[in-house]
Amino acid sequence: MLKKLIKYLSSLRFTIVLISLLGVMFIIGLWVPQQRLLKTVYLEWQKNTPDLVAFLDTFGLTNVYTSPFTISIWSLFFLNLSLVLWQRWPVVKNRIAVSDAKIVDPVTASAYPFRQSFLISTEITDASILLSLSKKGFTLRGDAGGFYGIKNRLAPLAFMLFHLSFFLVLLGGLVTVYTEFIGFIDLAQGEKFQGELIRYNTMPIPKMPAIGSIPNVSFKVQSIEPKVVRNTVTGIDVDLVDSSGTNHLVGINTPYNTDNSSFVFKHLGVAPLFILKDPAGKEVQGAYFKLDVVKGNQDTFRLGDFIFAANFFPDYEIKDGAHTSKSMEFANPVFVITVMRNGKIIAEAPITKNGSMEFAGYRLELRDMPFWVRFYVVKQRGLSILYAGFALATIGVIWRLLFYRREIVGAVREIDGDRWLVVAGRSEYYKSLAEDEFGLLFESASTGKTAKNQYG
Amino acid sequence: MAYWETILYIASMVVYALAAGGFIYSFVFKNPRVVSKVTLFVAAGFLMHTGAIIARFYATGHLPWSGHYEYALMGGWFIVAGTLFVGWQSKQLQGLAVGTVPLVLIMLGYGYMQNPALTPMAASLKTVWLYIHVYFAWISFGAYSLAMASGTVFLLKQKSDTSLTPNPAFERFPSLSRLDELIFRYVVFGFITDTIMISAGAIWAKDLWGSYWAWDPVETWSLISWLIYGITIHLRVTFGWREKRLAWLAVVALSSVIICFFGVNLVVNTSLHVFQVR
Repeated sequence: MLKKLIKYLSSLRFTIVLISLLGVMFIIGLWVPQQRLLKTVYLEWQKNTPDLVAFLDTFGLTNVYTSPFTISIWSLFFLNLSLVLWQRWPVVKNRIAVSDAKIVDPVTASAYPFRQSFLISTEITDASILLSLSKKGFTLRGDAGGFYGIKNRLAPLAFMLFHLSFFLVLLGGLVTVYTEFIGFIDLAQGEKFQGELIRYNTMPIPKMPAIGSIPNVSFKVQSIEPKVVRNTVTGIDVDLVDSSGTNHLVGINTPYNTDNSSFVFKHLGVAPLFILKDPAGKEVQGAYFKLDVVKGNQDTFRLGDFIFAANFFPDYEIKDGAHTSKSMEFANPVFVITVMRNGKIIAEAPITKNGSMEFAGYRLELRDMPFWVRFYVVKQRGLSILYAGFALATIGVIWRLLFYRREIVGAVREIDGDRWLVVAGRSEYYKSLAEDEFGLLFESASTGKTAKNQYG
Repeated sequence: MAYWETILYIASMVVYALAAGGFIYSFVFKNPRVVSKVTLFVAAGFLMHTGAIIARFYATGHLPWSGHYEYALMGGWFIVAGTLFVGWQSKQLQGLAVGTVPLVLIMLGYGYMQNPALTPMAASLKTVWLYIHVYFAWISFGAYSLAMASGTVFLLKQKSDTSLTPNPAFERFPSLSRLDELIFRYVVFGFITDTIMISAGAIWAKDLWGSYWAWDPVETWSLISWLIYGITIHLRVTFGWREKRLAWLAVVALSSVIICFFGVNLVVNTSLHVFQVR
């Protein structure tokens, strides 16, 4: 019973069942909004169809990639993989071993589908035949009286490597999950950051590592320079200076990496300095505000008794009487400010850098207009293990499938006064390719006369 | 679209359409002699197709990398290049174009209906990983398409061979056993390049999005597609699935790749794999 169970658990049939089940789970994950990945969509969907969502929640289908069912499939998959590797290792060892026992009669060798005899020219010596095989990458045993040759002998090891790579990916993945810190932080030009947990954005809540610590960093945002051509963001240069005075240029595709942590640029905003002055010209209040206004969003801020709704136009113009932007380029940046008090709109006006607007005797000045950036901060260990897994998988699959094994057995025989090289060959995967190769192997040694079935 | 790009793009579509018609004619009317001539049409279309890419390159300053139109433009180029390459290596394989040219024609037609606007290269695409990731993606797509074409030809030839009046058009193709091996070889080649593509994509994603794997729809579907071809290889190597069953697998499995490239973003609008205005 146990033997039967182990046999099934280590079978390829079981692997295919598991992979198919994983495929089904992944497809479900594509269609059903996932709590962790699409929180807003999920919450809206939950509000609209609470019963359906509750039903799917029960079965873990709204967290499909980490649901108990998916984790069980993954566990069985790795159990299956372990059993396969354990069972295949003796087979692999046997296959890569070269011994005289593999020298068999090419005429009667049963597992060698390719058979051919070549009439050898008189000037070709027995030794040169073996030498030419050796030069073509065959490892040889025996002599002209009977030999065994194998090319890419170690290819079965690639099978082990490829499947072991899955374990490296698993190990790397687990290490990253358990050591992972994830948080977002908004930093404006000129701001310093010492790695304080309290400075991270509260929404979404930072994910604390189960093992390890949060990023230990210290830097100042020296400058932020977005680059936009028409409506395409073509780059952003965020210059950071760390505590040792070294500059680090962060951009899209080039995060700041330190202490196993990455500061990945995620979002750009404008952080204007607004000053509110009363009718006497006295400063009431002033501050830099990190406004999320770049992609046409409206954001608000409060100064004194007023609430200000800000709309940002990077390339401002008035078209058909309406405020608009010619492009996303920061060619003519203008804020259009709507002033509200007690829920009532009392004024609206465009305002440029070093410009101002007046309302109800008050004056709002825009003194400065630097940018701020949102960094996605992630700290995780184990990435090198994970990448080693990717590399091993790639090497394994290339080695196994391109550098496949070819085996030949052969012997030089005197028949009716002529010398014939009788060979039989076999190959993994590509029978036709190997047959062509075997045919060409001995072409130079032979007179051109061959016999397909004479001795085979 | 740039002026010359539009002209060459449409011209290549017309020439591919004529070539596809020629191939269909040669099979339906059992006239194998036209295959070589029609292949010249494919080559002419390919030159125009290349010209369209060059014209777009001159207009934008970068090769086409993103968006459905550029996927169709570049992906179609790789598929036709692969078809011509194998046809150049072996005349017997020229007829594989009967499967690939109509596929490319549909892709180009679909691409033309999408947004072909000229856009500067998005910042997210300015990395060396783009070349590795995208080139290997296209190469694998080309290889899987050739596997599909070989599978299609295998199924047609097998049907013809077992009929009372075999179609002479299929005599030009390799034997069924060779075609069977070809399907497997293209699948293997596609699988290797697919593996490199996914690995490179994960490393790139870590720098770009901060996470090497985020279960993004395109990521997930590429994994599904990789698993399908992995199963195909195992079925062939371990279970000995050959000939008809392998041919059907190669034909059906291509749909997973097409979904990955063109389908996912149609039904799911949350993919990170939209690069133009990010």
